[in-house]
Amino acid sequence: MSSPVPTGKLAVRGLNAWYGKRQVLYDIDLDIPEGKVTAIIGPSGCGKSTFLRCLNRLHEETPGGRVDGSITLDGAEIRTQNEVLVRCRVGMVFQRPSPFPNLSIYENVAAGLRLLGIRQHDQLDAGVLDSLRRAGLWDEVKGDVDAPSTSLSGGQQQRLCIARALAVGPEVLLLDEPCSALDPIATTKIEHLLHELKESYTVVIVTHNLAQATRVADHTAFFYLGKLVEFDTTDTIFHHAKEKLTENYVTGLFG
Amino acid sequence: MGRPSPPAAKGGPEIPTTTLRVPRPELLRRGTLLLRLSRTFHALTGAFALALLALFLGIVATLTKASWSSILLNGPGFLGRDTWDPVHGVYGALPFIAGTLVTSAIGLVLAVPLALGVAVFLSELAPTRVRFALTTTVDLLAAIPSVVYGFWALAVLVPLMAGSVEPGIQHLTGAVGPFSGHAGGLDVFTAGVVLAIMILPTISAVSREALSAVGRQQREAAMSLGATRWEATRLAVLGPAMSGIVGAILLGLGRALGETIAVTLVVGNNNQVPSSLFSPGQTISSWIANDLNSAVAQGPAIYGALIELGLVLLLLTVAVNVVARLLIWRIRRGEAGGSPLRRRRPHRGLAAGSTGVGTAVVPGAHPEWRRAALARLPQRVRRRHGTFLLVGGLCLLATVLAVVPLASILYTAVGYGGPAVVRPTFYTETQPAACNPGPVTPNCPIGGVGPQIEGTIILLGLAALIAVPVGILIGIYLAEYGRHRLGPGVSFVTDVMTGIPSILLGTFVLVVFLEYVPSVANSGIAGGVALSILMLPLIVRTTEEALKTVPVAVRESALALGFPRHRVTLRVAIGTARNAIVTGVLLAAARAGGETAALLLTTGGFQYWPLGLTHPIGALPLVIFESGLSGYANWETDAWGATLLLLGIMLIISLSTRLLLRRAPSNE
Ligand SMILES: Nc1ncnc2c1ncn2[C@@H]1O[C@H](COP(=O)(O)OP(=O)(O)O)[C@@H](O)[C@H]1O
Ligand SMILES: [Mg+2]
Repeated sequence: MSSPVPTGKLAVRGLNAWYGKRQVLYDIDLDIPEGKVTAIIGPSGCGKSTFLRCLNRLHEETPGGRVDGSITLDGAEIRTQNEVLVRCRVGMVFQRPSPFPNLSIYENVAAGLRLLGIRQHDQLDAGVLDSLRRAGLWDEVKGDVDAPSTSLSGGQQQRLCIARALAVGPEVLLLDEPCSALDPIATTKIEHLLHELKESYTVVIVTHNLAQATRVADHTAFFYLGKLVEFDTTDTIFHHAKEKLTENYVTGLFG
Repeated sequence: MGRPSPPAAKGGPEIPTTTLRVPRPELLRRGTLLLRLSRTFHALTGAFALALLALFLGIVATLTKASWSSILLNGPGFLGRDTWDPVHGVYGALPFIAGTLVTSAIGLVLAVPLALGVAVFLSELAPTRVRFALTTTVDLLAAIPSVVYGFWALAVLVPLMAGSVEPGIQHLTGAVGPFSGHAGGLDVFTAGVVLAIMILPTISAVSREALSAVGRQQREAAMSLGATRWEATRLAVLGPAMSGIVGAILLGLGRALGETIAVTLVVGNNNQVPSSLFSPGQTISSWIANDLNSAVAQGPAIYGALIELGLVLLLLTVAVNVVARLLIWRIRRGEAGGSPLRRRRPHRGLAAGSTGVGTAVVPGAHPEWRRAALARLPQRVRRRHGTFLLVGGLCLLATVLAVVPLASILYTAVGYGGPAVVRPTFYTETQPAACNPGPVTPNCPIGGVGPQIEGTIILLGLAALIAVPVGILIGIYLAEYGRHRLGPGVSFVTDVMTGIPSILLGTFVLVVFLEYVPSVANSGIAGGVALSILMLPLIVRTTEEALKTVPVAVRESALALGFPRHRVTLRVAIGTARNAIVTGVLLAAARAGGETAALLLTTGGFQYWPLGLTHPIGALPLVIFESGLSGYANWETDAWGATLLLLGIMLIISLSTRLLLRRAPSNE
């Protein structure tokens, strides 16, 4: 479990979260290691998405959303920083592919750059190209970056969303069940991508698919009913879990 | 019917529950009967749905037929001629077309920015806590009857326009060109302002619907890129919602084009092409309202020409509404619509290796320019936050401005009408003889609007008697049977019919009655029929929507128990959707209760206690229209009393239904 002294890229201490009066996260302590993939697993409704949304302060934007506790990014508390600055450093990709439907592929990726205030065409081009490459989409779209984003397949759209998030230049990438709406081949591509991304980014992925967690994650956190039950290396969680509850979950006894 | 319990038919042989149940002849007979009933019901609803189509076509055909002589006589030059001179037999539509287009254009120019500000504020920027209250308040504006807007405008807006706004504009612009002329308050500009106030709730409500049809995730994706709330709206919401917003604007335009009573009261009623914004004018609908009743007596030439004007308005509004509905339907059916691709510079040159900067994937390394941008970011974020606050502030301002007329209308109506409605005789007596202008004195008796209250109740009763059963049956057809064949067409026509100006519905009814039953062309029957046509599409729509929200599981479990289809619909589905349907009927009745234009043409107006359905009859909104302008103190008090009464009823219905409907979904 996490030590009292924050060690991770993101360090969470005593995190509680509510929707209105209903508390959905209880006293979460978690250190998310830098340059690694951390998976969040747990049964549906246990608060995985909420936890992820706290990490880039999106939870506060939800009607009724309230947070209490501390989250530090590189040792600095994010909840006292400007939320726009936090979100530029902590990017997020959602469950359903959600490119901006009325924008082209290029403009989708350039959107974040324009928000940063980048106006020069060569810089935008470079940023878009770089992000599309990192997201493994460049070879598939080739020159046709002016095509509508909706002309892409579901898996490509999801990678476009990853490219869009990367364009801003984040340090942490949050992914909320990014493959749950995709077919197995598209899923494999994204899993490969995650392996490459962790070279440069700290990745946190919520997944429903336990096999996926074992394939992509270095560390795994198991959530149950809004509490963090266990956090350790993926191998430990899946094969030598300390908690009975974790073991039952990863062996498929419930969930 | 396959009830799970053993059959209890008397006299039949006991069937042991353990054996397989063989359908007995009696059961079979009942089954066949039920099947036949079920089919009959289906056919019945289908027939009414067809009748709705026929009604729509009938409106177009009737107005075409009645204006045919005028079309032949006046030729295509009718549209371009700028004189309307029955004495010399010259009929030109241009003054009215120009008046209609100019007032509607002014209305749109003023209403669209405000309405979009309201929509964005209520759907995107406002704190969630205040959203419902604000939305409800803005929506109340849509419930206020046209005649109330007009009467309020006469009392409050016209003096304001004449006294300060119009002179102010003339002062600023040097009173040249469109701003020239004597600014007297009763002119096309004031009519445009009233129209803006009236169409604002329509545009903002439908735009809001288009905005909220965009998924939450789109906004969150934008915010995750570091967008502020406003930037997220601009980036992720406005684009996909654009076709719905354009549809909303067109819907507002359609309403402005056909709006009658409020415009009639303030437009100045001058049959000439307006020479400036401040010259009095006439719109198609205001001219029909002013002249059709007397034209009936004045002979076929003027009558035909007036109906031809109506036909022009009908075609115009139907065209606008068809386009509007097509755009809105795309949004409602969740098609990824939106504006055409935002075309910036083409990027075909962007090919591998063409750009020297940052092409290599270097782990964690940012190119120089991005590092620079990130370094500048905190400063930039402050400015962007400032933009957000500015836009939010402007949208809040728009919302406040939108609500000002509501407050002013309530204030004025309570002030002037309050003394009237607290008198018991207001509800029981007839209007007395008119007094000379001046204050109410002992010699100048105060009466009441008892006959008109009764008239409104009778008219609404008749209208409901026709529209409620027919509307519900058609709604059932659309929701239950009509998904494949006739359904979408009827559903679309229903929507378009809600956009037909009520003055044209009145014209249609008048023309039909004059043709077939001239003796009751001005009567309670004609008025009731006109109101029923007004209510019908509203009831169809709410019934259809209410039934479609009944969960499939509810139906299927009833069907699985062996209930025939029509029983499932009538008992289970209607039962589940009952509250929503009742709400829809109430709202439709509220709309009809405040309707003036259609009644003006069909009821013949009547000051005394109703004599029966075949006689002319009075109605509350007509009191306002007719007595409000009389200049007689005691009559005007009645008009204000009627205004307050009508307003109170409308607002209570609209408010209570909203609150009820809000509670319903949260039970799930
Ligand atoms: N917008 C919301 N409003 C209210 N409750 C919510 C909302 N979103 C999620 N919840 C509730 O919060 C709990 C945690 O949800 P979530 O974090 O989405 O779980 P998970 O992602 O693990 O499935 C669930 O019980 C869910 O019902
Ligand atoms: Mg989730």
